[in-house]
Amino acid sequence: MPFFKTIRWVVWKDLISEWRTRETMSSMLFFALIVILVFSFSFSMDQDAARQLIAGIIWVAFTFTGIIGLGKSFTSELQNDCLESLQMSPAPKGAIYLGKTAANFLFMLSVEILLFPLFVLFFNLDVIEAVGTLLIIFFLATLGLSAVGTLFSALTVQIRAREVMLPVLLLPLAVPVMIAAVEATRGALSGDPFSFYSQWIQLLTIFDIIFTVVSFWLFEFILDS
Amino acid sequence: MIAIQVNSLSKAYGFYRIFEDLSFDVHPGECFALFGPNGAGKTTLLRILATLQAPSHGQFTIFGQDGVAQKDTVREIIMLIAHGSHLYDELSATENLQFALGLRGQAPSPPQIKRALDRTGIGAFADLKIRQFSAGMKKRLDFAKTILAQPQLLLLDEPYNALDHAGVAITNQLIQETLDRAGTVFMTTHDRDKATQIATRGGILKGGHLHLLSSEQLTTDAIF
Repeated sequence: MPFFKTIRWVVWKDLISEWRTRETMSSMLFFALIVILVFSFSFSMDQDAARQLIAGIIWVAFTFTGIIGLGKSFTSELQNDCLESLQMSPAPKGAIYLGKTAANFLFMLSVEILLFPLFVLFFNLDVIEAVGTLLIIFFLATLGLSAVGTLFSALTVQIRAREVMLPVLLLPLAVPVMIAAVEATRGALSGDPFSFYSQWIQLLTIFDIIFTVVSFWLFEFILDS
Repeated sequence: MIAIQVNSLSKAYGFYRIFEDLSFDVHPGECFALFGPNGAGKTTLLRILATLQAPSHGQFTIFGQDGVAQKDTVREIIMLIAHGSHLYDELSATENLQFALGLRGQAPSPPQIKRALDRTGIGAFADLKIRQFSAGMKKRLDFAKTILAQPQLLLLDEPYNALDHAGVAITNQLIQETLDRAGTVFMTTHDRDKATQIATRGGILKGGHLHLLSSEQLTTDAIF
């Protein structure tokens, strides 16, 4: 069964469905806007404190926004028992996993790119020199979150309390990615030399590889159970 | 080669036994209709044959492939039409066919898709999203999938549900075409009148046991 064609079909299906409903992206954006506004008002009197904490604020917003998207990733497969057809499909399950991960990654990264200018605006950030590095950090951290999040989304989709279980299971595992992302983002926003925080980017890369490989391998067992 | 070979198959949920020690064969070119009261385990048996559930005990093979150990190979040669339509609401009929067939490694051309939709009587709705489809139209689209996929074994769970008179005729015609190309059909149904028009053999699953019926017995009222 053609591996890459399967990935392409799954990504195509998820993107076209989302384009027509805008269900996932709109709820992610709406939630993230509220988070930005709440933090912005909370720190409106103390811009220095805000700048100290901005990296953490950014990743709290991105992570919880991502969880909303990840939660919807497999619930859409429950309509008309489509999950059953994925399970029964002769297509490689790893390819289905990579397709779902790629679609989740694209949703999350798109939302992050749309939201980041709002952070710059609300928190008066000077990011011109750090944009390239920040994009690399966003790319790597989002890849890690979507890799492990897609697996847990599949794992929890048939559980009645899936909205609760997904973050409960995902967040402890995502902590290393979040810490690395926050530290690297802080370094980039502070204007530190790249060598000061490059180890965090290396750590993100390592986590991405580990999460993707392990999730790719486990996905078949989860889908078949 | 035997299409479906079931050997001492049992299924239990905890202490509750759905069925036990089922053994039967279905040959290529046969349409096997499985009858039985609600809760007898017809759908469970069908889901086991479709590799969606594992049996508690026993083995089964599909065209010589072990249904548990070689399920990936089995999945390439079977297709299931179940209660859920396996269709995505936001995709059109054509897109759903492209996606489903794409995951099977097939790439039907637009004229082939059009022909399959026309044959099931929904050609005019090729570009309509599934969310606007009725249950009967979804069922017809499922059958359009089988026209394009041409599986060796077609598993049907209550295939006549939600279909109008014309839909039933199309369904039986497609089943006949599957049999004509030496394919095999295994269906569960309550609708004996419609099923016996096409079934070549059958069985009644009741009380956890299967009573096999010949083609003559299928039309004998006393057994039902």
